Amino acid sequence: MPELLDENQKIRLFLPDVMRCPQPAYADLRAKCPVGRMFFTNSPVVSRFEDVVWALRHPEVFSSEMDLQVALGTERPMIPQQIDPPAQTRYRRLLDPLFSRKKMAELVPAIRAHAKALIGDFAEKGECEFDSAFAIPLPCTAFLCLFGLPLSELPTFLELKDGIIRPHKFLPPGSADLEKAQEIRFSTGRRIYAYFEDEMKRRAGNPGDDLLGDLLVAEIDGKKLEHNEILDICYLLLLAGLDTVTATLGCNIAYLAGNPDQRRRIVENPKLIPGAVEELLRWETPVTAVPRVAKQDVTLHHVEIKAGEVVTFLIGSANTDDEHFPDAQSVDFERQRNIHVAFGAGPHRCLGSHLARMELQVAMEEWHARIPEYWIKPGETPTYSPGIREVMYLPLVWNA
Amino acid sequence: MRLRLDEAKCTGHGRCYVLGPDVFGEDEAGHCVLRMTEVPRALADQARAGEQNCPEGAIAIEGD
Repeated sequence: MPELLDENQKIRLFLPDVMRCPQPAYADLRAKCPVGRMFFTNSPVVSRFEDVVWALRHPEVFSSEMDLQVALGTERPMIPQQIDPPAQTRYRRLLDPLFSRKKMAELVPAIRAHAKALIGDFAEKGECEFDSAFAIPLPCTAFLCLFGLPLSELPTFLELKDGIIRPHKFLPPGSADLEKAQEIRFSTGRRIYAYFEDEMKRRAGNPGDDLLGDLLVAEIDGKKLEHNEILDICYLLLLAGLDTVTATLGCNIAYLAGNPDQRRRIVENPKLIPGAVEELLRWETPVTAVPRVAKQDVTLHHVEIKAGEVVTFLIGSANTDDEHFPDAQSVDFERQRNIHVAFGAGPHRCLGSHLARMELQVAMEEWHARIPEYWIKPGETPTYSPGIREVMYLPLVWNA
Repeated sequence: MRLRLDEAKCTGHGRCYVLGPDVFGEDEAGHCVLRMTEVPRALADQARAGEQNCPEGAIAIEGD
């Protein structure tokens, strides 16, 4: 493992080598510097469970109103992620029922069919690159189902998502042109707004029986949502709904490919899958960190955080904190007590958590029913992206 | 066994009603609704599972 703290005591965390297996680095941080400062950005980094969860529950101190500080190509804050209570509460009251567990359960047959079809495309080949063959397309098809859009839109949505999250894909290999990357984000952002604007126009008089239709007829305090409000919701759903589940699928399958005893356990007893999904959300925590902006000066573990600073809260570290999880460093699919915050905590608890859980469970069931035994291709090493731990290269093989 | 729910803390993670469906229900928004406050012995495990898996610490158990 590379040194976590550099010669200036700055944290070097979001590196591919650390991200492959970040839990020991988290433990180091919690023990040695519960609040440190990040290399390059100098942003404060908070790593202990109680501090992370306290912050997530106190938006008046650590706010989510930071659309200008994070580069996501937006022209306005995304709703409801980048606004705080009380305004955020009104949107959540409207959106929570649209993303409830019951509502998401209605999508199970469609997601199951898509998962089966994707697996069917490569099962007989005896190998696949998991990220591109399964982890990327499945959440995108779920998004299209939710919005009542045809599957033929898949390439468009993947391009829009990458334009914001991985603009470097559209630059020459190896290019580190930050300005150009930012330009790509903003032009992609304009395309996202335009896409949903057109879709809303198309539905004039006939809103449709899907999420966008629900948003078009929804009212808050007797008043319909304005077009911009709907756009700002759609923008968030596009960005938040695709990459996160992709990353989680990759982390789960990479873990199971490398831990055959655990894999066999769920193959022999698929009833363990919901518990395995929870435990791997805790252990892998693919969305490693969430940012907040300090609304006031705060001193935490002798570190002064100034009002206006963007603070990184390491939920991956919170989820592996020995003070809050018995036997925190072992992976137990039958863990009795699991209060992980992989979906955050407090008022901004992930709106799509029930959708994500459903997708993950269905995917794990269908994958292991068809491909119960698989390995990482000999001689290959999976690569993990920092921040959101997408396993961008996960070559798998099995006996077809 | 008695159950208490702090509604102000619940943010709708939904762990309780998935793990203890006979003890915990959900409202339209997916927030917890207690189906009972006095828990019979036969459902004690479900009540405990709900309490032990709430990331917000919104559920409390008194007695056994």
